Amino acid sequence: MDTGLIGILTALLAASVRMATPLTLAGLGETFSEKSGILNIGLEGIMLSGAFFSFIFAYYSQSILLGLLGGCLGGVFISMIHGYLSVRLNVDQTIAGLALNFLALGLTSFFFLMAFGRTTDLPECPVVHQIAIPLLSDIPIIGPAFFNQDPFIYLTFLLVALCYVVLHRTEWGINIQATGEHPRAADAAGISVSGTRYRAALLNGVFGGLGGSYLTLALLGFFMENITSGKGYIALVVVILGRRHPVGVLMAAILVGAAEALQFRMQTMGFGIPSQVFNMFPYVITVLVLLFSIGKNRTPAALGEPYIRNNR
Amino acid sequence: MRNQVKILGELGSMILIAAITALVGTILVLAVGADTGKAFGAFFSGILGSFYSFTEVLVRATPLILAGLGVAVAFQARFFNIGAEGQLYMGAIGATWAGLYLPAMPLYLHLGIAMMAGFLLGGIWAVIPGFLKSQYRIPEVINTIMFNYIAINIVGILVRTVMANKTSPLPMSPRLSDDLHLPFLADPTRLHAGLLVALVSAVLVYLFLYKTTWGFELRAVGNNPRASSCSGISVKKTIVISSLISGGLAGLAGGSEILGVHGRLMEGISPEFGYIAIIVALLGRNHPFGVVLAGVGIAALQIGATTMQRRAGVPASISLIIMGLLVVLILGRQYWIKSRST
Repeated sequence: MDTGLIGILTALLAASVRMATPLTLAGLGETFSEKSGILNIGLEGIMLSGAFFSFIFAYYSQSILLGLLGGCLGGVFISMIHGYLSVRLNVDQTIAGLALNFLALGLTSFFFLMAFGRTTDLPECPVVHQIAIPLLSDIPIIGPAFFNQDPFIYLTFLLVALCYVVLHRTEWGINIQATGEHPRAADAAGISVSGTRYRAALLNGVFGGLGGSYLTLALLGFFMENITSGKGYIALVVVILGRRHPVGVLMAAILVGAAEALQFRMQTMGFGIPSQVFNMFPYVITVLVLLFSIGKNRTPAALGEPYIRNNR
Repeated sequence: MRNQVKILGELGSMILIAAITALVGTILVLAVGADTGKAFGAFFSGILGSFYSFTEVLVRATPLILAGLGVAVAFQARFFNIGAEGQLYMGAIGATWAGLYLPAMPLYLHLGIAMMAGFLLGGIWAVIPGFLKSQYRIPEVINTIMFNYIAINIVGILVRTVMANKTSPLPMSPRLSDDLHLPFLADPTRLHAGLLVALVSAVLVYLFLYKTTWGFELRAVGNNPRASSCSGISVKKTIVISSLISGGLAGLAGGSEILGVHGRLMEGISPEFGYIAIIVALLGRNHPFGVVLAGVGIAALQIGATTMQRRAGVPASISLIIMGLLVVLILGRQYWIKSRST
């Protein structure tokens, strides 16, 4: 790899895209969930559970595909508990999500220690390798970042497009939005509010689980306690910055990923600025975005509100 | 009669929840292949095995009670303060700052001012999202979470720059002078006067919530903002006040950790106290005295689990599982009771 400005820029962009991938995946899932009216703070737990089960499946089967399946199942396990609590039992969604984060952290740490003991050399699972797309990967700067990556990342781009189409161009997507904006009207129009919300929760689990799997099956190749360490919360940030739009989520994730990649680079180069300054960026920007969105309220009107059918 | 049935039902459901969590705990202990007798022995001796171990529980309970009280006050006004963690760290900054940089003065005055600085900074950190909610209807849940991360990063920046200890390469502030320490309550244990601050705060919060007009208005707003507004209560003002008190109490938790335990500012002084405080408030049903009990209970669970890990090889993360499960069951129980009473 050549040094110089172009080389640094290329490496930085490629790293940003890699950092952005788990956030994008989890953010897409949360977008479905929030559009349907469920605010799931338990995204951290979904990702963690996804990371854990993808590792376990991949470790014992030595198959990446089974690892992915495990990741999805792990995510769905947590998201459907949250779905049940918020759709069927109408409980406070924030507290339920928080509790599930604790539960997921506890369960994954507990069973990981149980299976592998307290070791310094962490057990490794197979990881995906990058595949260069001919021609496109030769484009300077953006080529290596977008077209010389692992298949996971190509899948993510595909999913972003797919989510956009589903959410904005299909009847089912419109139904999801209606459920989040005005559940009673949606109900009166013959849409099953609880069914729609359950399906959104299911998608949230699949996507969040995939996001967690990316950490183990692509970025790291191992699992450790609290491997997500707040990535789920950053994914919540990405959803807001991306205004709950799939393409927006991708862009926001790349922005946040760039901040993260930049911070790593600054650390190795030994600048005098503490890395926390960069760590803080996404959160400060989110607060500012919330501030500037005063008046033009884009949050789904019924976000976080349980829908109780028999209440008037 | 009907009331009695309801109380019995509540009691029964509580016993059921306790039984389920105990069962799950036992299954987990069996799953790791630990000796159950030894494991449970370790768990209880970790909590009540000696006077020292019990004081350790109380030391752990102190920040949980203070931050839990803060969360409870906010929840009573239906201000979903998820930001106790950040408010705690801001309180820690305030207390450390006052401890390090204020001119010499009588010890108790200095301690009092340092704690007040903790209250103030924690309060400010909660009032911002509180104001944004009451004035501009910006949802507080996401905002307070963002403020957590911002506060934690501010601590990271401070201990590496303006508040850094010049004589040490580690990211931490200089040590406060040895005298500037909350009085120890039972030498040679680590039990410090922060516990008294927590207990007094609980009484004050009780008096405030249930014996003053402001407290009544706060609870009214929490129950029904619309009706309160119609009867002349300023909902906006109430939410701002509740967020100030809420953050202030979490800030006191940070101040008490600095002045009672660590003696200096550093990263990671709170192992998620602010998030666990939410569970404490929920278990204590947002009532100050309930919060005290729940704070001691959760602290006991954590200390017991640590001892169990050390002596019987059961991972301490079992306490996280139990906490998460407890909350899920309690949330479910509320639905169960509601659906049966209507």
